[in-house]
Amino acid sequence: MTAILDTGPKMTAGRVLGAYLSDARYESLRLLRTPAFSIPILAMPILFYTFFGVLLNGGGHRPPGFSDMMFVGWTVYGVMGPGLFGFGILVAVERNMGLLTFKRALPMPTGGYLAAKLIMAYLFALVVMAMLVTAGLTMGHVTLSPMQLLTVAATMSLGVIPACAIGLFIGAWAPASSASAFANIVYLGMAFLSGLFFPLSGFLHDIRAIWPTYHLVQLAHAAAGMPTEGSMVGHAGVLAALSAVLILLASRKLARRG
Amino acid sequence: MADDGSHVARLAQDALARLSGVKKRYGATVALDGLDLEVRPGELLAVLGPNGAGKTTAIALMLGLQVPDAGQVTLFGRSPHDLTARRNVGVMMQEVALPDALTVRDLIGQTSAYYPAPLTPAETIALAGVEKIARRPYAKLSGGQKRQAQFALAICGRPRLLFLDEPTTGLDINARETMWACVRNLVAAGTSVVLTTHYIEEAEALADRVVVMAKGREVAQGTVGEMRALVARKRIDCATSLSLAKALAWPEVSAASLSAAGQLSITTADAEAVVRRLLAADPELKDLEVRRAGLSEAFAELTQEPAE
Repeated sequence: MTAILDTGPKMTAGRVLGAYLSDARYESLRLLRTPAFSIPILAMPILFYTFFGVLLNGGGHRPPGFSDMMFVGWTVYGVMGPGLFGFGILVAVERNMGLLTFKRALPMPTGGYLAAKLIMAYLFALVVMAMLVTAGLTMGHVTLSPMQLLTVAATMSLGVIPACAIGLFIGAWAPASSASAFANIVYLGMAFLSGLFFPLSGFLHDIRAIWPTYHLVQLAHAAAGMPTEGSMVGHAGVLAALSAVLILLASRKLARRG
Repeated sequence: MADDGSHVARLAQDALARLSGVKKRYGATVALDGLDLEVRPGELLAVLGPNGAGKTTAIALMLGLQVPDAGQVTLFGRSPHDLTARRNVGVMMQEVALPDALTVRDLIGQTSAYYPAPLTPAETIALAGVEKIARRPYAKLSGGQKRQAQFALAICGRPRLLFLDEPTTGLDINARETMWACVRNLVAAGTSVVLTTHYIEEAEALADRVVVMAKGREVAQGTVGEMRALVARKRIDCATSLSLAKALAWPEVSAASLSAAGQLSITTADAEAVVRRLLAADPELKDLEVRRAGLSEAFAELTQEPAE
């Protein structure tokens, strides 16, 4: 029965890799060309950081560590965006418009659809980080050493994965019309209710651990040699477990419904 | 028996795609009801049928987009979920929205990367006749231009088997002719094609073999000539006092019905003879109308059900 396929060209490993990379390239290209996505993702973090972290930076009366805390906080905010929105909104929309069905009919390599978005999220996160590092070093009075900056960047790149997982979960389960609203609510909560920029008190302080950004910023503070709370293994474990559970739930939904 | 066995084995090996006794239902709706369908090497198979006949579901099963409730589906002798099998397939679906911000050329580049030995984007653009829209973002295309772009994506991987689901819906005459010419060239070069369509002319223009579906089953299959003969029949309507039994007794009449209002409808391959008989039998006959029977009459006759 399989003799029918024994003739004809075969897909080499090089071409399979090429298919993944080409998908990532076109995924990034289309998002760059979509201002509704690229402007908030690329421009908002650097604008917010410049405004809150640099211009309103206490005019020389900064408490110790304030500049570094602002820098790390806005970097966490910036790297979560591409994964959250790239997956959250696009998966929901593409599920709705039949693109996912078409992709499943094509001989796209296994996982190619998600791999393209993951690589895209990394590329955008890298660009966001590069802008924030440049601004932090030139205007933001950041005192981290080059080695500490590299360690923070490496930690942040791990943070892209939970962001993608949350986005994928929203994209898989939310209707296309409301996925954007869900992603925005989660993003705002993660940014302002998890203690990225200022210490929390009361109830918000007690529940800060529900936000993945709380755990990511603790890891980033550790990487930057700044004061931290809790166990770093615990923070990393929470992020890994959260990612695994959300990816599993999303994959089930996508496999069933397409 | 031995001969039969080897014949069946040879057919199984030869078929590029095959549905065997496939049943599929969506909730209470039966989409496919024990369908057998095979696509043979080098043929252009047209699958005709009214809306809801199960044409799109049949294609979705062959592409692995749906799983049958019963029966077997193979694509190049394997499961349609096997990537190796799907690398030989090109597909143009009925409803798909592609990324708006990418140009037609980008989409071709992205899709051809999935195939082992695709055409170059320039070759695809020339073959599909989409030079004028190649640099335009998908969002800026008209409905017909989008169908042309989707056709280019279907052929870019040099598929051995091409699925075209209602490909020319929304196309103007020129674009339709261009697409037909391209499909003919592909078939001449050895590509097999499964074409679903509402249009008998499209099947007549392209197909080697036609399968007519209704209500999830195959109701007829044959060459284009055989199907054309079916559709070449005439439909005669008139108001007459003649009885249905008498009309049915005439040898030229292949089907007849009488409405409550006394309107007699006759399907025949020889309209002139039947009209002569009608006028001779009922000098009072009124409202005589003779027209070419459409595909819907052909379906109705085949399925004993009014088609949509």
